[in-house]
Amino acid sequence: MTRALFMDPTFAANADAVLARARMGDSAALEALFRAFEGPVYNLSRRICRTTEDAEDVVQETFFEVCRSIRHFRGEGSIWGWIRTIAASKALMRLRRNKYRETDELEDEFVPMRREDTALRMDLEAALERLGETSRAVVWLHDVEGYTHEEIAAMMGRTVSFSKSQLARAHARLRRWLGEEVTA
Amino acid sequence: MTHLNMEQLVALRDAGSEPGTAAAREHIGECPLCAGELDRLHQRAARLRALPTLRPARDLWPAVDARRRQERRRRGVRWAGGAGLALAASIAAIAAVGPRSVPVESVPEPVAGEIAEARERSQALETVLDAYNPEARVIDGHTARVAQVLEDRIAALDQELQVTELERSRNAREEELLQLWRERVGLLDALVDVHVTRASRVGL
Repeated sequence: MTRALFMDPTFAANADAVLARARMGDSAALEALFRAFEGPVYNLSRRICRTTEDAEDVVQETFFEVCRSIRHFRGEGSIWGWIRTIAASKALMRLRRNKYRETDELEDEFVPMRREDTALRMDLEAALERLGETSRAVVWLHDVEGYTHEEIAAMMGRTVSFSKSQLARAHARLRRWLGEEVTA
Repeated sequence: MTHLNMEQLVALRDAGSEPGTAAAREHIGECPLCAGELDRLHQRAARLRALPTLRPARDLWPAVDARRRQERRRRGVRWAGGAGLALAASIAAIAAVGPRSVPVESVPEPVAGEIAEARERSQALETVLDAYNPEARVIDGHTARVAQVLEDRIAALDQELQVTELERSRNAREEELLQLWRERVGLLDALVDVHVTRASRVGL
């Protein structure tokens, strides 16, 4: 199950016409496409990237690529699916480029304790933010965006078992930080 | 069977048919603790999906649009350069083989010369625009709208030019091609006026 995308009704009503004009390089149509999907693209980017600046860069790179490649989009899948894959790839590329810390173990050691830690219970936003970059990207792409482990592995250039283990580790940590652990 | 670990619970949720899945399912049916864990895993994922959508604090379209226009103009320069070389090559070929071998629909030299001239003028104006780098400058809304209209018309004209260039080999469309190049020069002249001299009236 994936997060439902509530598409801008104006765009949804004219999607075919807007896409046809966007393929011809029509500025107004490209802007309409941007306005219809900037929210979900930013959300995905911000959930994966550490900073708002990185997320904004990903949005710009994504839509620049969309403007450049829209004429190759044949409508075989949904336009959102196509844009989302570009955005996810750009966000993951940004993670690699920034050489964020790779392992969650390091995260656990070096991320300073926050107010939530002392209460031994964080809210979900804070817990998600605290996850390591890779784990957070995997949990978001899999549980929210609905990508399969095979797709995530391909986008990350890693193995399927890597994606699976990252997801399990992410959930184990979220469970602990959210205070959901139950002792037998 | 011992309790399921997180990797097994996650695998169960994905409804795969991996080894051990059947045994894990059987365990879930018998163990309320693991059933509870699986339930909490489902709930956690549902809560993740229900997190509010984050939105950018500023409008990012102007930056995307500026970059797109800059690249489109650069592509136009590269393409115009290539077309010019092709044109020069065809003229040279005609001159080399002599009048008997010239096909009926070959390029009449005066028209070809005018096309080459218009193309050179077009490239010179592109160079002026690139040197001025309008994307890096602040312009008022009216100027931006006029520039956008001109750039869109140039882009549409470039598509027409490409088609006409491709069809040149099959049809004698030199006059049409010349007309298109002249129109492109006119539009670029107007764009240079808008950006460089900030002329508010460009006769649109």
